[in-house]
Amino acid sequence: MTRNSKTGDRLFGVLLLVPSILIVGGFIFLPVIQSVYYSFFDFKLTRKKLPLLWNGGANYRGLWESGKLQNAFFITFQFMLIVLIAVFLIGLLMSLAMNKGRKAERTARSLALLPWGTPTVIVALLWSWMFQPEYGVVNFLLMHFKIISEPLGFLVNPDTALASVAVAAVWRQLPFMFIMLLAGLQGIPAEMYEAAEIDGASPRQSFWHITLPFLRNVIRSSILVTIITNFKQFPLFWTMTGGGPMGRTETLAILTYKNAFVNLNFGVGAAVAASWMLTLILFSLLYNRIFKEAEY
Amino acid sequence: MKHRWKTSGLPGWIGFIILMIFLLFPLYWLIITSFKHNMDIYRFPPQFIPRNFTLANYRAILNDNSVVRYLFNNLLVSSGTTLLTLAAASLAGYSLSRYSSVFGSVTRTALLSTQMFPIVGLILALYVIFRNLNLINTRFSLILSLSAVTIPFSTILIKGFFDDIPRSLEEAARIDGCPRLKTLFSIIMPLSKPGLLAIGLFTFMQAWDDFLFAITFILKDSKRTLSAGIAMKFLGEVSYDWAQVTTVSVAGVLPMFILIFLFQRNMVTGLTAGAVKG
Repeated sequence: MTRNSKTGDRLFGVLLLVPSILIVGGFIFLPVIQSVYYSFFDFKLTRKKLPLLWNGGANYRGLWESGKLQNAFFITFQFMLIVLIAVFLIGLLMSLAMNKGRKAERTARSLALLPWGTPTVIVALLWSWMFQPEYGVVNFLLMHFKIISEPLGFLVNPDTALASVAVAAVWRQLPFMFIMLLAGLQGIPAEMYEAAEIDGASPRQSFWHITLPFLRNVIRSSILVTIITNFKQFPLFWTMTGGGPMGRTETLAILTYKNAFVNLNFGVGAAVAASWMLTLILFSLLYNRIFKEAEY
Repeated sequence: MKHRWKTSGLPGWIGFIILMIFLLFPLYWLIITSFKHNMDIYRFPPQFIPRNFTLANYRAILNDNSVVRYLFNNLLVSSGTTLLTLAAASLAGYSLSRYSSVFGSVTRTALLSTQMFPIVGLILALYVIFRNLNLINTRFSLILSLSAVTIPFSTILIKGFFDDIPRSLEEAARIDGCPRLKTLFSIIMPLSKPGLLAIGLFTFMQAWDDFLFAITFILKDSKRTLSAGIAMKFLGEVSYDWAQVTTVSVAGVLPMFILIFLFQRNMVTGLTAGAVKG
């Protein structure tokens, strides 16, 4: 290989990256940096010409003192945890049950994927319709089976709103978790189980010592995806509750969007955004560290 | 095979059936609501099998120009995003797979880190950027912003597919004097069709799902895409017109369902290729 072709290789390798770097850099990294920058300014969209006014940490202080930022963190975290636990446990059971590849199960599998293909706004509308207080089918079914005695306003009642949005989220995300775990299960060599059985291992032991360790990579990435998806969930809340009732579903995403595009106060919106971007970044660094340490 | 986990008898089956009902009943409900007369929709107890089957809601939607336009705009934006993402991500993925360098590994880390940034967090700054570029109220702004979101994941995914193609192919081509770009397009790309198909499908589905960009950058009804269009048109009023909402929703869901039935296998391989390797 000549020296000429080596520099050529290097140049070619860099050139191929240029389109992606331009698009991702210009429309993700640049706005991220700008968001952090705006968060320290008095920046309202209502003013036409904008001399940005530095106001130090006033945006952050205002948010903190109103208690809205803490509330949003709490709600977001609560939502994420509910959905994660439900999706992971149900998904795991479902994949263990359907890990056989009979024909009927393959058909059931593609049917089970359908919620994952349903656009999020349509998921939100569909569940709003089913949770509807007067004509909603969920109320009818729960009353029919005597679980509740009178109709509930699922999305307008402060006690049920967050859980109701979580049901819609679980419905859409369950198929993804299921498919990921199923693929992981099918990657486990059958001989492992045979050998374990010969050695006298109980099904429970093979689950803890073969199935789970083999699934580790899949579990790590699908849990991370689920956490991030729910941390930034926007369309479900915006369409189903808009952050109400009484702030009980006002997540970080809703608080950011309301401040920026309803109150037209970009500075405050950016401050919310910056605080949870930082949280997510720290979290994911920590997350990978934890999983690395658990490696053996 | 028989040593894998067995469905534990009757309780397992009951659990499985309840789960399938949970996953499928809402879709059944969506579809039958769209075939009901308006007066039957607001009946309590509801009809689980529509008694007066009607196509009136579908006729109304087809005659409503704006709904057809939402669908068309959604198709345009999703296809544009898919093409742009395929082009950019396949080049970048190839570079990361074959031409390793410090620059490349920095780029790879940067791309991976974008998965962490919440779109809602950067959308206000993005709005300012598009306003300065005079791209507010254009479908192009949606294509650009959606591509920025889909390119990182697609690049990482397609890199995995390129990694599986033996390097000896390129070496042989080089000895024959074939230029690098030609090698890429006439030898490597055709071999990576499954990977390209997978990232194309994911990108299309993600673009089809977009709501946030569309409600923020598009203020003209004629440029709206489906999700934003439904939300703005049918939910702004005091009482929702559920017959119309469910009918438009069926139209929005159908293309995705067709894709899932046709390409389920490709999507699953694509999704899990990245995850299983870790």
